[in-house]
Amino acid sequence: MKLYIKALKMHIMSELQYKGSFFMSIISQIITFFSYYFVIISLFTKFNNIKGFSLYEVLLCFSIIQFGFAFNEVFARGIDKFDNFIISGKFDQLLLRPKNIILQVLISETDFVKIARLIQSLIVMVIALINLRLEITLLKIFTLILMFISAIIIFFCLFLISASYCFLTVQGLEVRNVLTDGGKQMAQYPIGIFNKGFIFVFTFIVPYAFVNYYPLLYFLGRNNNTIYAFSPLIVFIYLIPCILLFNLGTKKYKSVGS
Amino acid sequence: MKVYLSYFKLKFITGLQYRTAAIAGISTQIFFGLVNVLVYIAFYKSGDSNVSMSLSQTITYLWLNQAFLILIFQFYRDTELYELIKSGNLSYELARPQNLYWMWYFKILATRASQAVLRFLPALIFAFLIPIPYKMSLPVSISSFILFVVALFLGTILITAISTLYPIIVIKTLNEKGVVNIFSAFGDILGGLAVPIPFFPKFIAAFSKYLPFQYVSDLPFRIYIGNIGIKDAFNGIFIQLFWIATLILIGYIVLQKLLKNVSVQGG
Repeated sequence: MKLYIKALKMHIMSELQYKGSFFMSIISQIITFFSYYFVIISLFTKFNNIKGFSLYEVLLCFSIIQFGFAFNEVFARGIDKFDNFIISGKFDQLLLRPKNIILQVLISETDFVKIARLIQSLIVMVIALINLRLEITLLKIFTLILMFISAIIIFFCLFLISASYCFLTVQGLEVRNVLTDGGKQMAQYPIGIFNKGFIFVFTFIVPYAFVNYYPLLYFLGRNNNTIYAFSPLIVFIYLIPCILLFNLGTKKYKSVGS
Repeated sequence: MKVYLSYFKLKFITGLQYRTAAIAGISTQIFFGLVNVLVYIAFYKSGDSNVSMSLSQTITYLWLNQAFLILIFQFYRDTELYELIKSGNLSYELARPQNLYWMWYFKILATRASQAVLRFLPALIFAFLIPIPYKMSLPVSISSFILFVVALFLGTILITAISTLYPIIVIKTLNEKGVVNIFSAFGDILGGLAVPIPFFPKFIAAFSKYLPFQYVSDLPFRIYIGNIGIKDAFNGIFIQLFWIATLILIGYIVLQKLLKNVSVQGG
């Protein structure tokens, strides 16, 4: 962990060397991210609900999933770009070092500019919470925190899966964008608004629904079943096979040479 | 002119080589399209709206958006050109007897066009074949279809004129991450790529009318679905022509000015 923080500091320092460029990039990130919730806000100026969910409920849902994704982009960028390691053969270097491999991959790269998205999604969350005027209980706060953590974990899992896949194909698979970017696009909205088939896939195959749908229902007071409050924990379990898969890939790894 | 056309041909053929990337791109776009369609269906079914577009019109718009995305979106990076400027290889380009503006213009046009040719048909075929609420519809009339083709063609010319401004800005700033990214992020929003223009809050719609972005793809798509009538379509096409002329002129003049005192990077 100490090592990770040290590497992180190095990355930040190096990015800050180009101050002008860094701040311009931050501004462009803010605008890009703005376009995401601009869609939601625009649509709600024309409609007053989506299958019973109000603007602020959707924004809360949106902020959780975007937070999870942006967190991974900032702090775990390396795993997203894992195919570079395999293609260039740099993965051999990592294997030689006496440290955890996943950790080494994680710290290899950061995209600190994306912090703009992280902060913006937190702001959106705060605005949504203020406007929702919910009755807050201790368990609800706990659920909210669980939701945020599980959002981070689910994208980490997906990145791990696609990284493991790189061991097989060498090249990064663009189709994984369907799971990550596409899944993110979808999970911005409460999953209940979609068709049954979609809900099934994104509950049992990629557990987005446990990140920000079932717990959201509990948090919003639409369902008082306490199991819903703890449902993000399923995503934690989901992490185990993903790590195993990655380790299996590492064991079977054959270098591309040179 | 012949020289620039051969630049176009060369780039176009190179672009056609990237077929696997295109397949991956199409599948992602189709998925995005489906998600968008489902979201809009959910909205339309949740109560009355005051939008000028019907559900089936909106769905057709969304599919057109996905099918032609690579042709029309601003946030498109021609890293090759940017690298050329940043690395100092710009000097080779200057040594050529051709005009730099048109050379870049046709290269960008060719890259976009070749990518689009690979992608739009499969996406459209998919959009026409899926069952009814999700399916894309045919254009409202033959005349609107012809106007759609004309407007989309001009839209492509227009977007290329806009994107040719980006490497010109980079000559000055030497960094594509700043101004260029900010510019193109705004352009994508105001061009109706995030959400169709009729869904915009009123004040933004009023303001975007005076900018070129919505004439790239929003105009042709809304002509196709019949949200813009024949008469307004002609008006729109005139505005397109105005913007094409203005932006090409600006790009051309600014580039000539910049090249007079350009300092080449690196050795």
